[in-house]
Amino acid sequence: MDMLITILVILLKVTIIYGGVIGLAALTTLAERKVSAWIQYRHGPNRVGPWGILQPLADGVKFIFKEELIPDGANRWMFYLAPTLSAMPAMMGIAVIPFAAESPFYGDPAGTPLAIAHLDISVLYILAFSGLSIYGVILGGWASNSKFSLLGALRGSAQMVSYELSMLLAILAIVAMAGTLDLAKIAEQQSTIGQWYIWRQPLAFLLFLIATFAETNRHPFDFAECEPELVGGFHTEYSSMRFALFFLGEYCAIIVMCSMTVTFFLGGFSVPFWVDAPWFVQAPVFLAKICAFLFLFIWVRWTLPRFRFDQLMGLGWKTFLPLALANLFVTGALVALEVY
Amino acid sequence: MVIVKRKELSLSERLYLPEILRGLSMTFRVMFKKPITRQYPEEPLPTNEVTRGQPRLAVNEDDTIRCVSCGLCEAACPAYAITIDGHETDRFIEREPERFDIDMLRCILCGFCEEACPKDAIFMSDELELADFNRAALVYDIDQLKRPIAQLRPRLDYVYKVNERW
Repeated sequence: MDMLITILVILLKVTIIYGGVIGLAALTTLAERKVSAWIQYRHGPNRVGPWGILQPLADGVKFIFKEELIPDGANRWMFYLAPTLSAMPAMMGIAVIPFAAESPFYGDPAGTPLAIAHLDISVLYILAFSGLSIYGVILGGWASNSKFSLLGALRGSAQMVSYELSMLLAILAIVAMAGTLDLAKIAEQQSTIGQWYIWRQPLAFLLFLIATFAETNRHPFDFAECEPELVGGFHTEYSSMRFALFFLGEYCAIIVMCSMTVTFFLGGFSVPFWVDAPWFVQAPVFLAKICAFLFLFIWVRWTLPRFRFDQLMGLGWKTFLPLALANLFVTGALVALEVY
Repeated sequence: MVIVKRKELSLSERLYLPEILRGLSMTFRVMFKKPITRQYPEEPLPTNEVTRGQPRLAVNEDDTIRCVSCGLCEAACPAYAITIDGHETDRFIEREPERFDIDMLRCILCGFCEEACPKDAIFMSDELELADFNRAALVYDIDQLKRPIAQLRPRLDYVYKVNERW
């Protein structure tokens, strides 16, 4: 009986959190179009439902009814597998994100944070899965049997290798200061605004933020897609729901990255000016912080032009890596000397 | 020959970030400005008496049509869009059209019919929208073309004003 209840509670958590995140991803596509429209003196989608709120639904229905094309000479299995491989790691990351300090669910022991799974190495887990997400891009590009797709995939993987490194080093500085790999504990350490890591690690924040743009293939680093040069990059040959799955994966990855940024640097679920807030206040505040970062992602996309590819590599290896290493070195020295 | 002089970048420009923030503030300000898009079916294009829309036939206040089916507009029409058959009446003005068709798919809205008309009977109205599911429905007959003169008055006054010059 206990076993059954445990399983039911886990299923309930999975349903609520994944449903919420996928809904948020759908709304982000709408926000993307709305914000881009506002920036360009346009209205954006406003025909489907009030204020265009049902547009993602209409898009989904449209995608389902589209014909699916597979290019001649494509590797069928890899071609089918790639969108799933692109969406899956991003969604796996969501499982460990803590939404509040205390879980209200029956069966969770006291002190367990509100997350689908509470791991004490959640930082490691989330980074491992976000590193996997590039496989979808590479496989999709390679299996398409198209030069544009292949070029997009190559660029995407090169970029991922370059930026993942500085991203990890930036986070290592936080981990060194926090002394834990548990996202919930890191968030709990920043219960007041003054304790937020953004004040203590501004350089790491900047490096991490920019690296997340590269990690999620967003402007100004969207070299895997690169519409003007590579048609559509790795997803040139995709159509129908498989194409949509790539985008679902991309937006889920953005949400995961935003929630990581918030957890590492902006206090995670901690509510400003209210240290012991209950879970039903913490979770919406966390969501609001994520939404602010989602807005930043969209805002940057419609402001900055794309980098040149060699500039991107130069920035990654010649600027970010030394800066991240120096930051880690200084932080490590300060932690060792017990200044912090 | 033009020699393009490369501008030396200052330190803040080479650091990217201040310039990126400047760009972001620019787009943020634009976000609150009024969109310039016109929501077409709800907000139609504003028209005035100069608008040269589809030709329409003027009908007097006493419900008689002004057209005497002289055939001048039919002859003037460069697109052969107008077809007229006339007949006689017992009124003082002895002729009126029995059939007056304008093929709106052929009409090029040039306004020659309006210029050719000696009786001020055909005018370019401000009606611009034209859509149907079959081509035959877009050949307008006399009943579809009739408009009370009051509705065409601004255009009529405008045409008079323009023609005063000759």
